[in-house]
Amino acid sequence: MSTRAVIDISELPHHEFDTYDPVWWGNNLLLAIETSMFAILIATYFYLRQNFALWPPPVAQLTATLRPLPQLTYGTLNTLLLVLSCGPMILTDIAARRGNRGVCQFGLVICVLCGLGAVVLRGFEFSAVYFRWDSNAYGSIVWFMLGMHMLHLLVLTTESVLLAIWIFTREFDMKHRVDIVTVGVYWYWVTVMWVLLYAIIYYTPRLG
Amino acid sequence: MSHKEPPKAQRATITDEELAVAMQREREELERTWARPRGLSGWFTDTDHKAIALRYIVTAFVFFLLGGIEAALMRIQLAFPDSHFLNPDRYNQIFTVHGTTMMFLFAVPIMTAFGIYFVPLMVGARDVAFPRLNLYGYYVYLIGGLLLYAALFLNTGPDAGWFAYVPLSGPAYSPGKRVDIWAQMITFTEISALVGAVIVIGTAFKMRAPGMSLNRMPLFVWAQVVTAFMIIFAMPAVMLASSFLASDRLIDTHFFNPAEGGDAILYQHLFWFFGHPEVYIIFIPALGFISPIIITFARRKIFGYVALVLSLISTAFIGFGLWVHHMFATPIPQMGQSFFTAASMMIAIPSGVQIFCWIATLWGSKLNIKTPLLFVLGFFAIFVLGGLTGLMLASVPLDLQIHDTFFVVAHLHYVLIGGSVFPLFAAFYYWFPKWTGRMLSETAGRWNFALMFIGFNLVFFPMHQLGLNGMPRRVYTYLPETGWGTLNLIASIGAFVLAAGVLVFIVNAVWALRAGVVAGDNPWGADSLEWSVSSPPPNYNFHNIPVVQGRYPIWQATADAPVVRGLSTVKRETLVTSVLDAQPELRFDIPGPSIWPSLVALATGVTFIVGIFTPWAFLVGAILAGITLTCWFFGDPNYENKTARETGERSEKVSPPRAELQPKEV
Repeated sequence: MSTRAVIDISELPHHEFDTYDPVWWGNNLLLAIETSMFAILIATYFYLRQNFALWPPPVAQLTATLRPLPQLTYGTLNTLLLVLSCGPMILTDIAARRGNRGVCQFGLVICVLCGLGAVVLRGFEFSAVYFRWDSNAYGSIVWFMLGMHMLHLLVLTTESVLLAIWIFTREFDMKHRVDIVTVGVYWYWVTVMWVLLYAIIYYTPRLG
Repeated sequence: MSHKEPPKAQRATITDEELAVAMQREREELERTWARPRGLSGWFTDTDHKAIALRYIVTAFVFFLLGGIEAALMRIQLAFPDSHFLNPDRYNQIFTVHGTTMMFLFAVPIMTAFGIYFVPLMVGARDVAFPRLNLYGYYVYLIGGLLLYAALFLNTGPDAGWFAYVPLSGPAYSPGKRVDIWAQMITFTEISALVGAVIVIGTAFKMRAPGMSLNRMPLFVWAQVVTAFMIIFAMPAVMLASSFLASDRLIDTHFFNPAEGGDAILYQHLFWFFGHPEVYIIFIPALGFISPIIITFARRKIFGYVALVLSLISTAFIGFGLWVHHMFATPIPQMGQSFFTAASMMIAIPSGVQIFCWIATLWGSKLNIKTPLLFVLGFFAIFVLGGLTGLMLASVPLDLQIHDTFFVVAHLHYVLIGGSVFPLFAAFYYWFPKWTGRMLSETAGRWNFALMFIGFNLVFFPMHQLGLNGMPRRVYTYLPETGWGTLNLIASIGAFVLAAGVLVFIVNAVWALRAGVVAGDNPWGADSLEWSVSSPPPNYNFHNIPVVQGRYPIWQATADAPVVRGLSTVKRETLVTSVLDAQPELRFDIPGPSIWPSLVALATGVTFIVGIFTPWAFLVGAILAGITLTCWFFGDPNYENKTARETGERSEKVSPPRAELQPKEV
């Protein structure tokens, strides 16, 4: 009777966190796509700036010339909100790894609220830019940057809502725990991207 | 968040007799588990990577034929001076749609399709990493292609060239919807290519059979992975270029409007930052076809595996540093021009390394000269010529002289047809038996090669001279006094010889499907894993995931090679392994058939097509996509079973492991 060697994998798990899971790779590759998109967007911002003596372009008024810098209030509030929202997200992340369903549910609800808040604040940010998208190239690129990031805020919040619904109404299974950790990566990425965009949109014009 | 030790796989033995008893029953179970939906619903729900890839290949080939017909129309128009076969407006649409079709609807998708078909089979996986995403990608691509051709037949075909430069394509000079069609079609194919790239990398990195460490990965898979990374970093640029263009036209932004601080040159930068890597996105997968074909027909190991892989990677890196050489006729600082000249010349180094590695493999080996190898040899001749004119164009003064002439047309066709279409036909002949179980005719194959090779050179070689004589590209006719008539006539005759070659291929394929010699599992005596399964492969690809013992798995397999046991036969599962060493990590759930990806693709399509007419489409589209994606997320028919297994309870459908399959300790 001949025998044959086998590698028995019947005890292996179906899902595992981070680099083990193909979903983690899929998510990170999509983020790589979006990172290159934002990189090119930022390059475009500085490329267009070369065409302007003053950036943003000055507006002639009756008595004086106005330098319409983007107002800081809403952008700064939004930055604070997003950075702070990483707190509950880290909590959710850890709870998903440890299998603590209650904390996960609580954390996701807070995160969804933060996401909605950020979207509302973004709405005000558009009005804090003096120009509209169709005023000049400065308005076009700044609206586009704010808009592309808002698209991510919307997708991120929707994804968190869906996951929250799942773990409230269905199982707290390994597959969706991995998903929660993956959404965490997306959340941190959206925050980091925003901090960069915030510095570029609001402060580089003030540097001179 | 620290990483745990990877789960250890056990080694055990199982007797042949016990295996044989279990095999048949398992095979039947696998057939049931991986059964593909049939009929009309199968068209929209089937997630089998082989079915999707073949649809991609057939669709892309149809677009290739349409693009070819457009080329033939242009050659008829240009055959004689002062011809009125096509009017200028029709000619503009046809050359634009020809270029757009060949680049976006034929070359990129068909290369991705080969990856989607063969990467899982070559690495020993049962499906791709994200099968439903794959289904979505195909339908997005199909809708984009149909949009372009529907527009062409309605006399609304794009007419600003395949790179649609502003200001010509801007709102001021291209009123109407023609350019909008082009811009949206770009978005469709870009989404589909990005989706394909993520799938290919996920599959190649995480689903390789045990033993296939990264340094044993087939060169075909390496080429696909390198291409996928290029797509990830290049495609966003064209996405922004086409979105900026569309928003300039639709909602009055000013990205490219100099009057309001915009910049026309910005468009060229964005387009070519994608456009030059695009050439390599088409070319590198073709390099991946050549290596396995040379290995098989030289019947020996490849010379310089590591050098070949490093060449692919360095080609990809340098490919991102060349884009400005398309813009030498714009006011770029001289310092910048010199940099891009240097980079354009530097890329010849990795290309040279690869060609020398292949020649070294062929040298002194006992060649088995079959049609696939003929096409590869044809590639060498044509591609080297195209590469040489590429070096000429890298020189700024020469480039300024022949910019926008037929010399450039000749160069780009030598590079793209030589570098991509010839390897593609080699791949058709090489892998046709795997797809269909039948061989293409060798005799017809030799005719096919001869007609294509002669026809190709007849069309495009005279164009070098036409360009040097000053004939600009994209003119719909010329006067007899220019003296360009003879060379143009030769080129047009060549076009029909080339077309005859393609016709021979179509006849050959149709004939082979009915009456071709039945191919075995491995008709060429090849080395890689796709040839270890039946032709065509079973729905589940591999009954037992193989354990790979070298770079040439079939050639190096020993009689006592271990096999992987323990994947479910009643659930769709595949083995997930570590990225570097392919150590077993997970029994990953592969999702099965679903209608939702097709519906999400439809929502995407509606959004972008209606978006041509009103920006409100994006609001409605976001809601539609949101609804369909939510259903995708919640609408998994296997949900009940999955939960049962996760919580340790088994539903009736999941049978307990059978006694004879339990591994015995060594």
